[in-house]
Amino acid sequence: MPGVRIMMRVAVLLFLVTPVWAGTPVPEIPKGKGQQCVEDTAMMRTNHMEFILHQRDDTMHRGIRTKKHSLKECIECHAVKGDDGMPVSVESPKHFCSVCHRYAAVSIDCFQCHNSKPEIKLTGDRNGQ
Amino acid sequence: MSLSVIYALLFYAATLVLVIGVARKIAIYSKTPQPLKIPTTPAPLTTSGVVWRMAKEVAVFQSLFKSNKWIWLFGWLFHVALALVLMRHLRYVTEPVWFWVNWVQPFGKYAGFAMLAGLGGLWLRRIVVDRVRYISSPSDHLMLLLLMAIAVSGLAMKYVDHTDIVALKGFMLGLMYFDWQPLPGNPLLITHLSLVLLLMFIFPISKLLHAPGLFFSPTRNQTDNPREVRHVAGWSAK
Repeated sequence: MPGVRIMMRVAVLLFLVTPVWAGTPVPEIPKGKGQQCVEDTAMMRTNHMEFILHQRDDTMHRGIRTKKHSLKECIECHAVKGDDGMPVSVESPKHFCSVCHRYAAVSIDCFQCHNSKPEIKLTGDRNGQ
Repeated sequence: MSLSVIYALLFYAATLVLVIGVARKIAIYSKTPQPLKIPTTPAPLTTSGVVWRMAKEVAVFQSLFKSNKWIWLFGWLFHVALALVLMRHLRYVTEPVWFWVNWVQPFGKYAGFAMLAGLGGLWLRRIVVDRVRYISSPSDHLMLLLLMAIAVSGLAMKYVDHTDIVALKGFMLGLMYFDWQPLPGNPLLITHLSLVLLLMFIFPISKLLHAPGLFFSPTRNQTDNPREVRHVAGWSAK
């Protein structure tokens, strides 16, 4: 059966070529400051949007302002610095949110109003100007 | 063996069954003789007319619309919603995600509910309409149930119990790159994937295979030119 032999050869060839291919593209999720996020990592990976939205409802509708699940604190810890040493905005594919949100094609509207970069703390000199 | 390995192997097997199974059926359809000239009139007189007729069948289910408005409504709703949902799912197997797949995301989200509504209507028809219930076999009910279970488990992941979709995409891409990545073990996700695997396995031997069949229907794919061209095919050619 020459047909079967050719198929076997093609199979072996493909098997040999396989490891040469590039590895699976997976996002490199940047590490935040500190040892641990406000919830455990697996929980944050799947449910961070619920926490942020719940926090929004508490803050906006009930006037309860806490820091635990606040978007501002997320940005504070997870800011990624660009080539110029300054934190990048959500427009950059390196931004903590963008890394996964681009990968999974999930668009977010948080940053139409909120700042995607941590607030720059002004030094004494600049304040005095 | 870990869950990831079992599911990776199952996905390869299911893909092979689906592709080879459907190709085999199409080969059988293409070899089946169409000995008679039987286009349902009024039928197009030219080949381009047949293409247009077929396009209408594929896009808006014209024959079904003419025969039964209720089945058409639920059936068409289901199929269009399914198309949107499938497009939305392309984000798990493309990197970078194609630009139009980004656009379709919000529509695909709500299409999940439309899909369920369509399937619900079709199932109601099998239960409520006496003469349809009489000719419904268990597999007719089970197919609808399977599709509904897939839709419900998918929607539940979106709206009730989230899953790590970034890790899931890693797993799906890992299958395509032959560089396996771990599968997140969320129960809803495992249910959803298992049901989809089952669908892939039985698709080639089920009546869900009507899509390629449409193109081989002599009443739809023939030109109405029996006087201009002598029709010879199958045993009539001998």
